[in-house]
Amino acid sequence: MSTVMSGRSRRAKAPDDLDPDIRAVAPQSPLRRLFRETGTWILVLDVFLVLLFGALSDNFVFWSQTNVQALMINGTEALLLALGLAMLLGAGAFDLSVGSNLVLSSVLGALTIKGIAGPPDADGNYHNLGVAILLGAVVCIGTGVVYGIVNGILIAYFDINSLIATLGTMGIGTGAALVITQGGDVTSVPSQLQSEFGLASLWGFLPYPALVAIVAAVVLWWLLRYTRYGIRTLALGSERTSAERAGIRVKRHLVSLAAIAGGLAGLAGFVDISRYGSTAVAGHVQDPLVAITAVVIGGTLIEGGKVSIVGVIWGTVLAIVLQTGLIILGFQSFYQLIAIGVVLIVAVGLDRYRVRRRGDR
Amino acid sequence: MTEGTENAAATTPSPPAAAATAGAAADGHFETAIAGRHIAKRFGHVQALTDANVTVRAGEVVALFGDNGAGKSTFLKTLIGMIKPDAGEFVVADRPVSFSSIRDAQDAGVECVHQDLALAPDLSVVDNMFLGNEMRHRGVLGRLGVVNRREMTERADAALRELSIKLPSLKVDISALSGGQKQALAVARAVMWGHTAVLMDEPTAALGARQSAIVCDLMRTVAERGLGVLVVSHDLPRVLKVADRVTILWRGVTALEAPAADLTVPDVVATMVGYGRDNAA
Ligand SMILES: Nc1ncnc2c1ncn2[C@@H]1O[C@H](COP(=O)(O)OP(=O)(O)O)[C@@H](O)[C@H]1O
Ligand SMILES: [Mg+2]
Repeated sequence: MSTVMSGRSRRAKAPDDLDPDIRAVAPQSPLRRLFRETGTWILVLDVFLVLLFGALSDNFVFWSQTNVQALMINGTEALLLALGLAMLLGAGAFDLSVGSNLVLSSVLGALTIKGIAGPPDADGNYHNLGVAILLGAVVCIGTGVVYGIVNGILIAYFDINSLIATLGTMGIGTGAALVITQGGDVTSVPSQLQSEFGLASLWGFLPYPALVAIVAAVVLWWLLRYTRYGIRTLALGSERTSAERAGIRVKRHLVSLAAIAGGLAGLAGFVDISRYGSTAVAGHVQDPLVAITAVVIGGTLIEGGKVSIVGVIWGTVLAIVLQTGLIILGFQSFYQLIAIGVVLIVAVGLDRYRVRRRGDR
Repeated sequence: MTEGTENAAATTPSPPAAAATAGAAADGHFETAIAGRHIAKRFGHVQALTDANVTVRAGEVVALFGDNGAGKSTFLKTLIGMIKPDAGEFVVADRPVSFSSIRDAQDAGVECVHQDLALAPDLSVVDNMFLGNEMRHRGVLGRLGVVNRREMTERADAALRELSIKLPSLKVDISALSGGQKQALAVARAVMWGHTAVLMDEPTAALGARQSAIVCDLMRTVAERGLGVLVVSHDLPRVLKVADRVTILWRGVTALEAPAADLTVPDVVATMVGYGRDNAA
């Protein structure tokens, strides 16, 4: 202790009303602050890629309304998964099971809708279609929440590393979905679900599913920024012990975050059946890759404490634009995977650099 | 989601910053702020505490001295419900208590400044000051869990100013502050929320001479408000000067309880290392 004191005793000569520790930095201009956010740079990159792919595509089809709408629908599920993941990462926990959760939720939801709606009559109409769809949505989201709670309990109460816990439940979830469908998909979900929601748009432009995802993003942004729940989430990711010592019920809080992430995955499952009119059990293996990439490139710190919802949106846009753009330019679809993988690694490299520069960890 | 159930602080309205603005302890009158008697605690093969005793009366500063590994931190943790002791009784505000969590201790007005990890580095000064005790808006917004940052900032500013703690801004993240500033903030935080007793584990360990002096002044200020202050420190000369009484822990046993005025630094050191233990008591 005395060594600490001797190192600093010179400062004791400072005038009494002036704390020598204060080295206030002049506040930065709003524009400077904006460009300190990683998300802003990703937005710039998004705009650049949209211009590039548009200019390179035949007849500028990348800029067509059809393609933009397709981008938005594609982005919806990715955004819902990424948002949930971002909340968990904010508290320092991962979730690799979001894709499996989506699949399992969509299977149970689709079965519910078909079971309640029953077979169509001669005109292709169903009895109880409204109730069937409503309950289907409830089952999707409910399944997602339960899935998330299981993840949360494993992580918080059984103290299992979140990567391992959700890797395990990823296998269990996908396996359970396959057992239920006996290896196939649940098909022929009433097509009204597609025409009235999944492929319908507000004002003929904004797809309803995208609207749902945007509402979810706004709610989470608000939650993080203005509520006690948000403060506690970030405190938990920033320094778990401190949060515990501040009297926060850390375990319960983690479970609630995992439940939110799960509920969003379930919602994405509902969007999935609304788009395709069937489940896509085998189509979501890469979802965690895309979701994690979207979150991390947007400026959310992987060790927790900082979440950028706006960054998640721009990050998702980047992932989706990249995927679609490569297809439109005629690359085979597996090149997307390479591109996303590269982006993820570059993003984490930048993230490391940022943490080193902050210098306190 | 769990908002509704997780708000002990909100349903039992504890006036935030009561200690920082009111002249006396918020909870009426009591003689013994906090006490632990015959506390024992074993970790596997280590008998960390055997018979630890301490009594802190309202309005006094008690110093808890002891060699490294004597069990001081463990003792403090049992006092705030972080560690469940194997044996012993506790008294807070003249009443026998048995805390099973930090939350229980906080509800009884007992706050602790921990040796480390007291703050969340990615949160602002204000959010840290109010972490776990966030002030909410009135009405619907409040029920949704929306915090009132303006009022929190005003109260935090007042509380810090009253303790002569100066920070460049209340909006910056804690990670932008110096070690001394962080420590001062952790003390201010405990003082803001404690209305019965404030415990401090090595609060000056990371501080320079000048800031150590400020923290020691803080102890007196807090005690004068009618709270009990229990401080663990290795800074014997300085803490001996501010303390009213001294408790010395030696290998998990309270070896000495005496008025600070009767002791010199060499006396304390001798007892700390177990020298002449039998005659001293
Ligand atoms: N959680 C724990 N598990 C095992 N042993 C512990 C634990 N906490 C403290 N101890 C042991 O108890 C003894 C007292 O520790 P501590 O209370 O930290 O001492 P002090 O703060 O006086 O230096 C030490 O021998 C320490 O190693
Ligand atoms: Mg200690």
